[in-house]
Amino acid sequence: MNPVLVLGGGPAGLSAAGELASLGAPTILVEREGYLGGNPKRWHYSLLAPDLRPTEEVMDPLLGKIEGNSRIELRLSTTLAKAEPVEKGYRVTLRSAGALEERDVSSVIVATGFDHFDSRRKFEYGYGRYPDVLDFKEIEIMLHEDRVLRPSDGKPPKRMAWILCVGSRDVQVGNPWCCRMGCVVSIKQAVEVRRKHPEIDAYVYYMDIRTYGLWEDLYWKSMQEYGVKFVRGRIGQITLAEGGSRLMATGEDTILSRPTEVPFDMIILASGMEPSAGTKEVATLFGLSVGPEGFLTPRISDLNPVDSGVPGLFFAGAATGPKAIPDAITEGMGAALRAFQYARD
Amino acid sequence: MPIVEPSLVEVQRTERLDLEGIDVSGDWNTFLRSRVAVDLDVKILDWVKGHPQGDTISRCWQCGTCTAGCCMHTDYGLQEFNPRYFIYLAQIGYEEELRRYADTVWRCVSCNKCVERCPKGVKVEEVVHTIGSYLIASGLAPESPADRFDRAYTENLLRHGILDEADLFRTYERLEGRKTPARQILRMGLTLLRSGRLHTGPFAHRARRWAQMRSVLRAQLARDARCPAPTGAADRTVAAEGGGVR
Ligand code: SF4
Ligand code: SF4
Ligand code: SF4
Repeated sequence: MNPVLVLGGGPAGLSAAGELASLGAPTILVEREGYLGGNPKRWHYSLLAPDLRPTEEVMDPLLGKIEGNSRIELRLSTTLAKAEPVEKGYRVTLRSAGALEERDVSSVIVATGFDHFDSRRKFEYGYGRYPDVLDFKEIEIMLHEDRVLRPSDGKPPKRMAWILCVGSRDVQVGNPWCCRMGCVVSIKQAVEVRRKHPEIDAYVYYMDIRTYGLWEDLYWKSMQEYGVKFVRGRIGQITLAEGGSRLMATGEDTILSRPTEVPFDMIILASGMEPSAGTKEVATLFGLSVGPEGFLTPRISDLNPVDSGVPGLFFAGAATGPKAIPDAITEGMGAALRAFQYARD
Repeated sequence: MPIVEPSLVEVQRTERLDLEGIDVSGDWNTFLRSRVAVDLDVKILDWVKGHPQGDTISRCWQCGTCTAGCCMHTDYGLQEFNPRYFIYLAQIGYEEELRRYADTVWRCVSCNKCVERCPKGVKVEEVVHTIGSYLIASGLAPESPADRFDRAYTENLLRHGILDEADLFRTYERLEGRKTPARQILRMGLTLLRSGRLHTGPFAHRARRWAQMRSVLRAQLARDARCPAPTGAADRTVAAEGGGVR
């Protein structure tokens, strides 16, 4: 059997490669970066919502199945340069360090994932201009290392705010979709802060709270046990206050029907999920149809979310839309099974 | 309980009141009159949506971003002017509350910051003006001098195809029932004429083949005004008010 090609070394790709190996299929795992683990590793996610489980407890078993596995050919710092359909599967060209290499593969799993929204595009929030305006890309590592300090002066904050839906549900930046995890992750971050530092006040500015299913529990706990406060309104702009030493979040408290101008020491933007650069490239290379949002579209997403509709090509994870880690892992398993069946038959 | 809205307090002095044998005479003005929303009218939303500048109203999900950055609300501090709230009232059709803002709603300075920021692509500035137009068209707001000026301006343009300042001045004077002293008019006229800003009489610009253009425009205005008739609009329609071009 020709190997199965898995594109992307995040939770979905790791899960797919691990499952394929345990099914006995030879597998090539291609990752553009020089390390495995995708966004959770890249940005050093701290605890995972909603159970506040350390990210390592989820990522380490996934990684453990890959490393040293004789059935998996691991190709880090590698991208896909070309893909042509052949009678069964694809003839692909891999590029690493400028060198090209042609390989025949029996099927392909696209697990190219998402990128966090670049919050600089929401210029009115001053991300990239004011050091104490952070987004998910910076706060998680701070929580991970337990050093929640203001980048501007290294002092601990007294009052923090989270702004939800940054780069999501917003036609001004061209992203009308909901990121699905921004609410629960922000709430989790606020809980992490309050658990260790009850002296820091935490406010969440929201339009809607989407802690769907069993995630609702963490939302309730955040109020009842951790005293996180919720303000209904979307912040319009962030400026400097008190001689530049603090941040000023200007918004409307839509329940009060009043303007609010509250000074904060740190503000966290719940930066959403966009199709990753890799996802876009793969769509072009395979001539795949993408939805109006730019994510890959499964043939019938209700019936089989891992089925691309193209023979021998399967999807897994956030390449098809915002997704939580467990969902990406499950899809990785589903895609592995389908790719294995296709390669075998 | 604090009284937050003094205008809602009714002074009720009861000299002798006996409730089941207990004397409860005295001032009853520490109670708030209940303001239960009892009448919601979907026609408001239909009217605004049917207006060429109001059609984006139903996109609004009440996030408050527009109000947060609104020059009037935040910078100027006119808290009563709250575009998000006006839209909400129009959406649910709470006319009784909306009419309280018949005057305030026109304080928008058209800076368009709200339009720039609205995450749902609501043309907030236009929608707010349309809500104001609704209030006027349905007779819920007295026509303001600014409305009359708008009307005179539109008529002037339709008549000449290009602004005729002297004619605009005359029409507006008539609409306002005002009489500016002749000497003042003369002084103003001369200044304008010298600075090349007066185009009337022999100095008038002419728009060529205007009659043809005018009939097209009038037809379009009539079409634009063909929104569902506003509630309670007796004799005044949007078309007649020139509200359709606002
Ligand atoms: S999950 Fe929450 S933060 Fe993310 S877009 Fe949806 S509502 Fe906004
Ligand atoms: S910003 Fe847009 S969606 Fe938000 S309240 Fe204003 S009009 Fe509605
Ligand atoms: S255009 Fe009007 S409603 Fe919009 S921000 Fe400016 S003043 Fe406020």
